[in-house]
This record gives sequence, C-alpha cells and structure tokens, in this order.
Amino acid sequence: MANADSKSSLIVPGEATERCWSCGTMRAQHFCNSCGKVQPAAPVDYFMFFGFPRKLDLDTAVLEKEFYALSRRLHPDVFAQAESVERAWSLEQSSMLNDAYRTLKDPIKRTEYLLRLEGVELEEQSKQATEKARATGELKKQVVPPDLLEEVFELNMHLEELRGQKELGEDDPALLEEIGKAKLSLEEKFDALFNELKAEWKKWDAAVDSGTEEQLAQIRDQMLDVLNRRNYIRNLVRDVNEALE
Amino acid sequence: MAYSDKVIDHYNNPRNVGSMDKASSDVGTGLVGAPECGDVMKLQIKVNPETNVIEDAKFKTFGCGSAIASSSLATEWVKGKTIDEALSIKNTEIVKELALPPVKIHCSVLAEDAIRAAIGDWKKKQEATRPAEMQIQ
Repeated sequence: MANADSKSSLIVPGEATERCWSCGTMRAQHFCNSCGKVQPAAPVDYFMFFGFPRKLDLDTAVLEKEFYALSRRLHPDVFAQAESVERAWSLEQSSMLNDAYRTLKDPIKRTEYLLRLEGVELEEQSKQATEKARATGELKKQVVPPDLLEEVFELNMHLEELRGQKELGEDDPALLEEIGKAKLSLEEKFDALFNELKAEWKKWDAAVDSGTEEQLAQIRDQMLDVLNRRNYIRNLVRDVNEALE
Repeated sequence: MAYSDKVIDHYNNPRNVGSMDKASSDVGTGLVGAPECGDVMKLQIKVNPETNVIEDAKFKTFGCGSAIASSSLATEWVKGKTIDEALSIKNTEIVKELALPPVKIHCSVLAEDAIRAAIGDWKKKQEATRPAEMQIQ
C-alpha cells in the first residue's frame, strides 16, 4: 500500500484483497486474524458479511449478538487515533454492518434480498411472461390468482363507493360492515402468507445443502409468488385504512 | 415525476369507463393485476360473433394515472379492430403513445395483459357455446 497515508486512498469495494494490508497474512472478513488490524470492506453479500450461509431460516438472536459484537469492535470511535485509512475502513465496515443487519433482521427484506442476490427481478419476469404470451398466443399466467383479483376488485369498488359517500357526508353502515369484513379476511390472508413463506424458507435451506438447481429455482419462484401476493394485500389493507380514516 | 399531457388527458377524461355483463356470451372479460404496485385492471370487450370485430370496450382500473391512461387508451385502440388485430397491440406502442417513463412501463404491460385476457375469455366462451362449429373449421 504505497499510498496508505494519502487521503485519497479510500477503499472502494473490489479493491479489497485477500491479504491483510498491514502484515500481509491471509485476513479474515473484518479484521486481520494475525495482526488484528481493521480491513477494507470486502465486496461480499450481507450473508457472507456475517459469515452465514445463504439460508433464510436465520436465528435472529445469533444475528443480533454478532451485530453488537462487531459494532463495538468496528465503531469509528475505536479508531480515533488510528491511521486515516483505518478510520475510513472502520466507517465503511460499520456502515455495511448496519445495512447488512437491517436487511437480514427483517424476514421480508431478508427474503427479497436473497431473491435479488439470486438474480430474480420481479419486473423483468413480468415483462418476459408477457412477451412469451405474445409469441406463443397462450394466456399469460397471472401472478396474482384470479379469486384474489376478484376480491381486490370488489373491495376497490366498495372503497370508491365509500369515498363518494364521505364526500357527500353520507354514512352507510352496511357498506362499512362489508368493508370491515373484507379487511379482516385480507389480514388473515396476510398472516397466512407469512407462514407460507416460512415453510418455503425451510425448503430453501434444505435445498441449499442437498437440492438440485431445478429445486432451488422452483422454490425461488414460489417465494416470489408469495411475496407478490403479500405486497398486493398489504397495499390493499393500506388503502382500506386510508378510506376508513 | 410529471405525467405526459396524454396521460393527464386520459386520466382526467378516461374513455369507455364502465362495465358490461360478464355472463353474456359475446362479452370477454380480462381481470389482471400488477403485484408490484397493487393495481387492478378490468377490461371488457363486446365482440360481433359473425365478423370477430370488437364493437365495444369498457374498462375500470384502480391504480395510478399511468395505469388508468394505459387501459383507457387500450379500450380506444381495440374498438373497431378484429380479435386478431387487437392481439397484435404491443405494450411498447402504449408506452410510445403515452410517453410513459421506464418506471411506468409495467402499466402498459398490464394493459396488454388485460386485452389478451379479455380476448382469451371471449374465445373460451365461443368454444364452450359452439363446439360443433369449431370442429367444422
């Protein structure tokens, strides 16, 4: 590191090496195993950052423990007297640590993150499916199942009615009851979908150890499907709450 | 982000809003949704069984301005077209006409899906009600 002292030597991801910048031995993720110096953030994903396998049924207690331990060791205050590159790297590592923790802690964010890592792009998929339907003349399979679409459409009709009545200062108890029931049904579906997702996690984790590429792909699709339905319902519940306010 | 004038025009004066009897044998109904944003779009066509020409089209969309404009435009475009002509409408044409930004392309995809779904529903009804004629063809 010839320019280790210059201010312009901020490490960019990708510049990180396999060897400790200070003593030259093989280094660990955050600190050198040999000399203990802080290292530039390696260009790894959030699972690898914590040394976890790319699995979803994560023990969040373990995650939290690791997070707090690393937070203390990487905190920029610890490096107040260190070289400027070390200060910069501790800051960089701390910031990556926070991002990684926030992402992995949340079960939905964790799943979405893994799908992105695995190259699943939701919008792309939807466009590809339309292009395929155009080319083959077959009907595109809708991501959201037809009965859920019907329910969403009906509920939106009711909500529109409710907003109209509100503007006129009218009040229709029957309509409110109808919407309340629909909301309850949606919330039940919302909870059920989370359980469905957790079941897919277990399948995924098992397949990571001993599954085929096809099995993994199938589980990815299934998880995407569950997340799509869940988002759909979440938006709808939000609309209902807004209309009821 | 600013909407284009054409989107605003369709949004303020949507064409062909409404619904038709979905049980009718000459009506095809397409109900599609975009999970990315929670939009839901219903598009219906009324087809002349002799000529296969779409004589009327209605839509009802719950969603953003671009989704409403895309479906409004879709009903305008399919009217007077034959089933086959309507099937050739591409989402990119809707994007171009409405000057949709990249983040709103999925709205046009949804409109194309809705047209296909409505035509698919109509075709299914034709096969169900006139199996004998289908065989003659």
